[in-house]
Amino acid sequence: MFKFAKTIVKSFALVALLAGTSFAFTEGTDYVKLAKPIPNAQGTLIKVFSYDCPFCYKYDKKITPNLVPKLPGDLKFRPFHLKTKGKYGVQGSELFAVLLLKDQKAGLSDRDLYTEKSLLKKAKMAYYTAYHDKKERWDAGPDAYLKTGLDAVGMTRADFDKAKNDPQVKALLKEWDQSYDVAKVQGVPGFVVNGKYLIMTKSITSIDGMVKLINELKTK
Amino acid sequence: MKLSEMIGNLRSDPVRTISQWQDRRFLWVFMAVLSLFMVILAHSVFQIWLYMRPCEQCVYIRLAFFAMAFGGIVAAINPSNPGLKIVGYLCAIWGSFKGVLYSIKLNKIHHAAHSDDLFGVQGCSPEPTFPFHLPLDKWSPEWFKPTGDCGYDNPIIPDGVQLSSMQKAITDFYADGWYLWPPAHFGNMAQCTVITFGVILLFLVVAAACWVVTLVRKRQAATQDASSTCPGRLA
Repeated sequence: MFKFAKTIVKSFALVALLAGTSFAFTEGTDYVKLAKPIPNAQGTLIKVFSYDCPFCYKYDKKITPNLVPKLPGDLKFRPFHLKTKGKYGVQGSELFAVLLLKDQKAGLSDRDLYTEKSLLKKAKMAYYTAYHDKKERWDAGPDAYLKTGLDAVGMTRADFDKAKNDPQVKALLKEWDQSYDVAKVQGVPGFVVNGKYLIMTKSITSIDGMVKLINELKTK
Repeated sequence: MKLSEMIGNLRSDPVRTISQWQDRRFLWVFMAVLSLFMVILAHSVFQIWLYMRPCEQCVYIRLAFFAMAFGGIVAAINPSNPGLKIVGYLCAIWGSFKGVLYSIKLNKIHHAAHSDDLFGVQGCSPEPTFPFHLPLDKWSPEWFKPTGDCGYDNPIIPDGVQLSSMQKAITDFYADGWYLWPPAHFGNMAQCTVITFGVILLFLVVAAACWVVTLVRKRQAATQDASSTCPGRLA
């Protein structure tokens, strides 16, 4: 039965290849359907990440900045920070949420989140380099952790403490809590199309291949 | 038994000789001691003394060594008891086989983490998932909770810790992570454990096969004996 199904899938794949219209991607190897889809995520590409993850750093340096400009126009890019990974995951999420909303208020679009104008990017990179390159672990506590990000964007602690109680920040953090259900499937970074389809990171072989897969999943 | 005698026996009748070896305690004890030594070295020396934190695959590798140690101890209780020996073989073969898989995966992650070629590996898990869903990281966080980053095993010295001159020298030696020979980045942790697991797995499979072959031969000889001593029954 399984063999039969495999043959069918293979022949479909062959037809699709010969037709030259699209590449055939397989559910289970190239992507999985989330058991618990993220609501209100139609038309989005969500990236779940953590400051405490070497591959998130690598993706944010080399892959995602080149991927975002190539995304289809009707797909919005949304970063979700995972608070359950890393000693200061909670503080990281709060600061990233404050800064993302600040970026949006300053008129930055989702496509601008990897430009130098983005405060989110500045703080994120400050954490990545401190944690992964300088092996900083902020043993002094959460205040020391927050200082690294706040200094990178030139924000005072008082401003941050005020901003993090904003209802919009709270709402965004609540949305980000869904990151855990995505992350536990195959780890981080995790890319989710339309809140339903999670791309299997280990099957990604190139940025162009990723764009093709995203285009296919978007219309599913 | 002398070494030369052992080699002589192995040459003249390898199957029976290996089967005899696994009927004795020595190799089972050796495997258990070696496995425990590896885990204790990783935990007490590298993790606690040298601040090299274990990654996700690293704690799975510890479990694989523990399974082999357990199998070795069970079989060593009485290696001529087939029941104990079967349990010993199953645990040790399972442990060494899983160990090979974990090590291969760790090697891939290590390669991706230390190069620009980052495709083809899975991301970093938010928490470990052990075989049979055992919550080992909750039961014994010190031994099984991954506190290191996937693909990295550099020493990370907490703030305010005063290193002894010996600790300082060794952590500096391993500053780029654990290697068999750090100055040349030769033989990372995963490559060394895959060899260890692989050799033990090979030996276990060969020994188990020799045991089974010897048992079958004995049974055949016994039936032949029985048929030759009671010719009357056949006639």
